[in-house]
Amino acid sequence: MSNKNMFMKSAFVRAPLQNGVGRYVCQLQRIVLKFCKSHGGSRGIRDFIEQDLVDFAKQNASVVVYLKPRRHRGPVLVAEYLNGDRVWMNVQNKTHSEITKWMEVLRTQQGDISGARLRKYQYTDYPSVQGPWTPFTFKDPELNVATLPDPKFGANNRLSISATEKLRLMFEKQAISEKDVKTGE
Amino acid sequence: MSAAKRVQQWATFARTWHIFDCKWQDPYQSAEVIKKYLMGLHKPIYHSMNDCGDVVVCINSREIALRGNDWRQRAYFHHTGYPGGATWTLAWEVHNKDPTMIIKKAVYKAMRGNLQRRHTMQRLLIYPGEEIPEDIIQNVSNQIRQLRLVPTRLDHISEEEVKKFPKVMDYPQDYVLK
Amino acid sequence: MAFVRRFTPLLAKTFLNIPINTQGRRIHRWVSPTLIELKYREKKQGGKVINPRNTFLEWNLEAELYAFGKRLNEEFDSDLLLQAFTDRSYVIKEEMKQKEMEFDLKMKDNRELVKEGEKFMEEYIQLYLEAVLPKFPVEGIVGIKNHLMSESVLANISLHLGTKDIILAAEYPVERQILANTFKALVGALLQSSGDEQSGHFVRDFVITQLQGQDVNDYWHIEDPWTMLTDLMSKTGSELEPRLIGEVGKNTLLACYRVGLYLDKKMLSSGFGETVATAKEMAAREALKKIFATEENMYPINFKLNGIPKSTSDLRYKISAN
Repeated sequence: MSNKNMFMKSAFVRAPLQNGVGRYVCQLQRIVLKFCKSHGGSRGIRDFIEQDLVDFAKQNASVVVYLKPRRHRGPVLVAEYLNGDRVWMNVQNKTHSEITKWMEVLRTQQGDISGARLRKYQYTDYPSVQGPWTPFTFKDPELNVATLPDPKFGANNRLSISATEKLRLMFEKQAISEKDVKTGE
Repeated sequence: MSAAKRVQQWATFARTWHIFDCKWQDPYQSAEVIKKYLMGLHKPIYHSMNDCGDVVVCINSREIALRGNDWRQRAYFHHTGYPGGATWTLAWEVHNKDPTMIIKKAVYKAMRGNLQRRHTMQRLLIYPGEEIPEDIIQNVSNQIRQLRLVPTRLDHISEEEVKKFPKVMDYPQDYVLK
Repeated sequence: MAFVRRFTPLLAKTFLNIPINTQGRRIHRWVSPTLIELKYREKKQGGKVINPRNTFLEWNLEAELYAFGKRLNEEFDSDLLLQAFTDRSYVIKEEMKQKEMEFDLKMKDNRELVKEGEKFMEEYIQLYLEAVLPKFPVEGIVGIKNHLMSESVLANISLHLGTKDIILAAEYPVERQILANTFKALVGALLQSSGDEQSGHFVRDFVITQLQGQDVNDYWHIEDPWTMLTDLMSKTGSELEPRLIGEVGKNTLLACYRVGLYLDKKMLSSGFGETVATAKEMAAREALKKIFATEENMYPINFKLNGIPKSTSDLRYKISAN
């Protein structure tokens, strides 16, 4: 509710360019896998490249995959998204299965989620269908022509019925009215 | 922001002027209701940072009714800040001096704990009798219902109603009432 | 003193919300000075240098173009796609370079594709909007169309489709006009590769969906809604009556009035305003929105119409025809 972190920007949940409304476009543009061919920390990513990379590239033809073998440097995944974000992820000493899962995360993200904190977890373009509340919504229209203060609007109308009033109503109910009387004709 | 959205916001956050007749009402009980309208708690758009409170005009504050022996026993404390400046004033003395003070203090007390109460109290207007300035009564557009029943005086009941009311017995014509 | 020393962690915890004993959770004290120094050096060298993506080592234009087509789920002819991304400025630059090197490589630019794409888009968007907003007058439709075809909207769409790295242009970063033109060229290329219907769906899925969440009435400014409404009503011969149905705080600065419009004694619409005149004008605007079926709670625009919609312009209402 409040802006506790003064440095992190706040954002709402949005899809870039109304993504799902028309067709769905995978937001991952390209991914660069930088690894070392011999160092131990790159074992996981080397296994991934040998076994699962081609399948990944085939299934996600919209993602351009670059491989960059670099000596004496740690293994890194750099994902670039359509909105311009670049996500740098260190995969040193990560296992093959972990890297597969992280690749899946990068593929399904929309951009760099650590850039902003979400204010709400839902978003709608049409928060109200009946129209937003105004002081006029549930107002009695008779108040428009009344001169206030008026006991009709001011007196308490939620009090329970008094004994005298009850008796009076009972009396009126049992009273014989003109139409009930049968005249002898 | 388009014109439609602008006027919609203007309408949603419009400040209503309510009127409340304090005649024969308990100020402390009424204060709970009045404070709701002053703070804006009666609105679905309420938020403490929203400045959504309404204005309440209280009339007939001279006519309020304290419970039990309060007029004689309830004392209001005041300290001027200087040594020896403490005073305890009884309710009837306060009321004689300023008939609007009791209801004002009651509403102030009802908002205890609210940091915005000094600001909110500026929206409460209290008049001792029925006379209200012309421009203020023109602003008023809603009336807050009273909490306690104001019984009608016997001599204020109209004659036809008295005649219509069912009677079990009646005194004979030549009976002399002492 | 011993008391203070003993209870400093507790006191610190109450005043600051930072846990005392966890390591590396907060921003280290050397981060800020480092960033300040980096920024100073950057400024000294004349500002941040952003290299275009195609100067990186890991760049394969063919792969990028292939992936681009796959991303949009469309089959593009590869030559046409490359032509669509080539801007005139780039061709001029290349020709100047080639003059020095004395060899001739003819590169086609995207001007004709831009023209074709633009023409197709104008027609398609007009037809689609007419089909989807049946009661909206022509002026309104033209207003929405001009907004959708404007440079800012098309440049935004182009940017989010990933064209800014692939576009071949003289300068980097690419100008918005070039981005917008590239999008039109893409539509042109798609027209030639896949035909009318596919291109129509492409325009529908990327351009027309930009209307999602937007108020369609914003793109057509009506100067005098009251006279327009009375003209419309005078034809049907109904009685239009404006009435003040609510006021709040009459003598204050925050006064709010509510005016209702009654058509033959039945309520048509209501409007709020700071003055009675504003409220009446807004009530007239609401009434017009009701007549054109574009109120705030209207049925959402259908973004799933297939094929090229048929023209219904003769049945459509024209305000200026009166």
